Amino acid sequence: MSAIIEVRDLRKTFRVSERESGLRATLRAFVKRRYTDVPAVAGISFTIDAGEIVGFLGPNGAGKTTTLKALSGLLYPTGGEARVLGFVPWRRENAYLQQMTLLMGNRSQLVWDIPAADSFRVLQEIYKIPDEQFRRTLEELVELLDLEPLVHKPVRQLSLGERMKVEFAAGLLHSPKVAFLDEPTIGLDVSMQAKIRKFVAEHNRRTGATVLLTSHYMADVVALCKRVIVIHRGKLLYDGGLAALASRMAPYKLIGVTLRDGADGDGLAQYGEIASRDDARVTLHVPRDDAPSRAARLVNDLGDRLVDISVEDPPIEDVIDKVFTSESVS
Amino acid sequence: MIRRYGRLLALFAAVETQYELEYRVNLVFNVLQQLVVTGTSLGAVLILFSYTTTMNGWSVAEMLILIGTYYIVQGVADSTVGPSVERLLEHIRLGTLDFTLLKPANSQFLVTMRHFKVRNLFGVLTGLIIIGIGLVQLNAALSPLQVLSFILALACGLGLVYCLLHCLATLAFWFVRVENLLVIYGAFVDAARFPVDIYPGWLRLTLSSIAPIGIAVTVPAEAMAGKLDLLGLGAILVATILAWTFTSWFWKFGLRSYTGASA
Repeated sequence: MSAIIEVRDLRKTFRVSERESGLRATLRAFVKRRYTDVPAVAGISFTIDAGEIVGFLGPNGAGKTTTLKALSGLLYPTGGEARVLGFVPWRRENAYLQQMTLLMGNRSQLVWDIPAADSFRVLQEIYKIPDEQFRRTLEELVELLDLEPLVHKPVRQLSLGERMKVEFAAGLLHSPKVAFLDEPTIGLDVSMQAKIRKFVAEHNRRTGATVLLTSHYMADVVALCKRVIVIHRGKLLYDGGLAALASRMAPYKLIGVTLRDGADGDGLAQYGEIASRDDARVTLHVPRDDAPSRAARLVNDLGDRLVDISVEDPPIEDVIDKVFTSESVS
Repeated sequence: MIRRYGRLLALFAAVETQYELEYRVNLVFNVLQQLVVTGTSLGAVLILFSYTTTMNGWSVAEMLILIGTYYIVQGVADSTVGPSVERLLEHIRLGTLDFTLLKPANSQFLVTMRHFKVRNLFGVLTGLIIIGIGLVQLNAALSPLQVLSFILALACGLGLVYCLLHCLATLAFWFVRVENLLVIYGAFVDAARFPVDIYPGWLRLTLSSIAPIGIAVTVPAEAMAGKLDLLGLGAILVATILAWTFTSWFWKFGLRSYTGASA
């Protein structure tokens, strides 16, 4: 497989003005601004192969969007190198822009007052999409996203979820080989999120496009990405399989025990740290390696009192949260 | 290349016209407003000329040609570059310029020609009519050379206004909010209703250099009135080419400072 996206030691520092609150500080800042340098991306490297869907994770302000913008050619980095499809993104060559897309869940590229169909026509002209290909791609997108009733209404009359679907169609009309998706499901309800997810997976399967996705909804990442890249404060914390992230970051498992006679979980404390208790069900934290033996002991010791027992990985949200608060993986 | 951008321009205009036609009442009021504004400014000039026959060498007929040219320049600027530049400021502030920059086409073209207010083209029509009246009053034969130099000078004038507006908007990369600069621009535009040579030195200088809106209107009007020599025509041509080159460079330079609004 060939690398589609190559990033080496990418850096971007923003210069931001800062001042304290209050009128006096404001007046002072009006005359003389004080600037500080904020390293949004502080040297990250990774490569992504053709057709991969990679989750790009990090808390707010980690540098995800800055990285995506640099890779889309919108920002000149302060240092480092990047190549996408063989192009240096920030040279913004038309041949590169023609093959990539950046979709942002919180921004809209469609013109508010006119139906999406008109915006699509403008996009067709800008991207020089031949009529036949345009018709075919649009048909496919309309079918996959169920857009038929939406494209002829002025965009302002669409709901947030509907608009996002149309936004997706607009971003993918030119069949890009690389798609950067920045929080594509933000603010959408659960079923719309699921639809968008299904669409991204299906589109990737059909077109083989490479996708780099950021999301705060772990469900998006779990459903779509086998591989995740975690960054925090502009630095790379983890790059690898989603499953491996759990075992590496959360060296414990959860054993759920349901007892026939309910309550009295205190006796269970000897098997592991009690994480939660809910009527008859008790959840225990146990070291990952000890999980099988502890579970066996529980079955043995509790005998008839035991109604149900389960051994699970901790929820991915907790794992990620742990990554962000601890800061040091690997 | 030119064909492609021509097609894009036609498409932008078509899409925006559709949008304008959605708001019919707005359109009617716009035309009414244009008529009122034209009427009052014409009235003011006619009152002025009821006391005198020439104003700094400009007769009433030549003045009409100038006012007509003014409405043409203003009408074209207000129907294409003006609205696009206004949106550009908004795009820079909100970070939605991202989408424009992602498109595989000349970004300068996309930001200055994307949005149309077709209704303002009514001003162009008004301008043409007023020039017609002026020519009849002037009662002199119109040579093809005059018409040609008028068209050339007008194209240069429009080019200069384009450059001015685009440069003003580009400043938003550094200062974010520059709407007030556009208001100052508006004030200079108003001053262009009169020939640039009637103003005191400093204002004449401003209207012919930093804010070349003055010469953008006066020079083509001079051409049509037969008052322009080849030197003047050459000067505006060179000025336009220089302004155009600077504007392209300034825009690309500004783009480097664009950080986008953070997500």
